[in-house]
Amino acid sequence: MSAVLEFQDIHKDYRSLFGRRAVRALDHFTLQVEAGEIFGFLGPNGAGKTTAIHLAMGFVRPTSGRGLMFGKRLGHAATRRRVGFLAENVALYHRPAETLVRFYGALNGLTGEALSRRTREALGAVGLMQESSRNVAKFSRGMLQRIGLAQAIVHDPDLLILDEPTSALDPLARFAVRELLLDWRRRGKTIFLSSHLLSEVELVCDRIAVLNQGRLVRLGRPSDLLESREQFEIVAQGIPSDSIPNAHKEAGDRVYFQVGAQEQRSLIERVWSLGGEVVSVSPHKRSLEDLFLELTRDGSSTKAAPEAAKERA
Amino acid sequence: MKHWKPVWLIALNFVREQRWPILVLQLSLLGLAALGLLADVQRDRDDMLLMFKQLGMYGVAFSVFFGGSAIYNERRSRRILAVLGKAITRRDYLSGLLLGVALAAGLFCFVLGFTGTWTLGGVGFSVPYLWYLMICVLVACVLAASVALFYSTYLNPWMSALLTGLTLAVPGIVAFQFGERWGYILPVYNLMRVFIQASFEHRAISGGWAILVALVETVALWLAASWVFGRIDVAVAVD
Repeated sequence: MSAVLEFQDIHKDYRSLFGRRAVRALDHFTLQVEAGEIFGFLGPNGAGKTTAIHLAMGFVRPTSGRGLMFGKRLGHAATRRRVGFLAENVALYHRPAETLVRFYGALNGLTGEALSRRTREALGAVGLMQESSRNVAKFSRGMLQRIGLAQAIVHDPDLLILDEPTSALDPLARFAVRELLLDWRRRGKTIFLSSHLLSEVELVCDRIAVLNQGRLVRLGRPSDLLESREQFEIVAQGIPSDSIPNAHKEAGDRVYFQVGAQEQRSLIERVWSLGGEVVSVSPHKRSLEDLFLELTRDGSSTKAAPEAAKERA
Repeated sequence: MKHWKPVWLIALNFVREQRWPILVLQLSLLGLAALGLLADVQRDRDDMLLMFKQLGMYGVAFSVFFGGSAIYNERRSRRILAVLGKAITRRDYLSGLLLGVALAAGLFCFVLGFTGTWTLGGVGFSVPYLWYLMICVLVACVLAASVALFYSTYLNPWMSALLTGLTLAVPGIVAFQFGERWGYILPVYNLMRVFIQASFEHRAISGGWAILVALVETVALWLAASWVFGRIDVAVAVD
C-alpha cells in the first residue's frame, strides 16, 4: 500500500508576536497514513492532533520537517481537490443547506449537473435532504456537524480528514456516520479520523496513533495495541481457586487469573505442581480507554513511538 | 481561466456576507439624494456638490474598513478553514477578497454616480465628467483597499486601518509640500484631488496617469499581500 499522507520528522512551534515565548505543538512527529485505511488519531486536548491536521491541510507551516499528501508537499492547493476536510468546530456561512454545499462543491471545481447531483448525494448521505432549503444558521450543533461532513464529501474526495466528526451527534447519527465511513473505506477511500470517542475509534479504525504532548507515543493496529505484553490471562483447571492469589472460579471447575509477564512461568509451574492443567494463556486485552489513559495520564509515558516500540521489543 | 471561478465565488460570497453594510450605504446615498431634491436644487447646488464629494471620501474610508477586516473576520469565525480546505491557493483567496471589496466599492460608486447624475446632473454638472470622477473614486477605493488588505494579512483590522491611513496620508502630505508628482508614490491622494477639485465649471479630464499607477500598484500590493499571506498560519486564533 502507498502512503497518501506523510509527516516526516515535523516540529511545530507556535511563537508569540515577537518570538519570545514558544509552545512546541509537535515534536519529531513522523507518521504515514496508507491508502484505503481508516486511521484513528487520538490524544488528549492540546496533544497536537489539530495542529497535525492543520499542517496536512496547509493551514499552518511546519517549523521544521516536511510532509507529503498524495506525493505533493503539504499545502499544495491542487492536491486538496482530492481531500475532504471537516474542522473540529464547524464554522460555515449562513445560507440554505443546499446552496452552502453547492458553494463548497463549486470551490472544488464541480460545475453544472455534476455539482447538482453531488450536492444532493452529499446531503442524502448525511441525512439532511429534507432540510436542504433550511438556513444552516437555524441548525442544531449536530446538524451543523452533518452539513460540515456534507461539504467535505461533496466532491467525492479520495482522502477524508475529519477532526472530531461525531462529537455533537446523537447515537443514531453517530451510527449513520460510522456506516458512512465504513462505506467509504469499502470504496477504497482513506479516512484520517481524529476523535475522543474511543469506542468509535476502536470499532472502525484499521490503525491508531496516540499523540501526547506533541509526540507520537503509540502507533499500530487496535488488536496489537490492546493486547498487553505485561499482563497475561491464564485459565487452569483441576486446582482449588484459593491456591492462586486473585484467582476466581467461573464456569465448571475452571480457574481464571491474571499475572504479570515476570510471574507467568512460576504460576504455570505452580498449577502443574498442584496437579492442575493449564487450559490457555493469552495476553490480557485492554480497552482502548485503558490504553489511552495509560499513555496520556502522566508525562512518564510520553516516550516517542520508536522509543516505545524499541522498549517493547 | 480555471482560477477565476473560485475567485469570483469568493468575491460574491464576500459581498453577500457584507450585504447589510453595503445595503445601508446604498440606501443612505439614495436617501440623501432624495433629500437633496427636496431642497431648492438651483440655490443649494454648491452644497450638494460638497456633500457629493464628502460621500466619495466615505467610499474610500469604507473600502479601507472592508479590506482591513475581511481576513480577520474570516479567521476569527474560522470559516476560512472550510474555504482554504478546498483546492484554492492563498493568492486566489486574496484575489477573491479584493475583487469582493472592488465589487462593493463599484456598487457604491455606481449608486453615487447615479444619484449624482440625478441631482447634480439636473443643475448643470457635466454627467460624463461625473462618471469619470466615479472611476477615479473607484480606483482610489480599490488601491486603498489593497493597502488595507496587505496590512490585514498580519494585523488586526484596527491596526491595519491605522497603518493604511498613515500610508495613504504620507504621499498626500509629501505631495502637498513638495509637488504633486510625489503623490504618485501611492496616488490615492492624486485621484481624490481630482474628485475634490471638481466644480460645475471644471470639465477637463485629468488624473489618467494616477489611474494607471494606481492599477499597477494595486497589482503589486496584491502580489505582496499574497506572498505574506502564504506564510501565515491561518488556523491560529486571531484574538
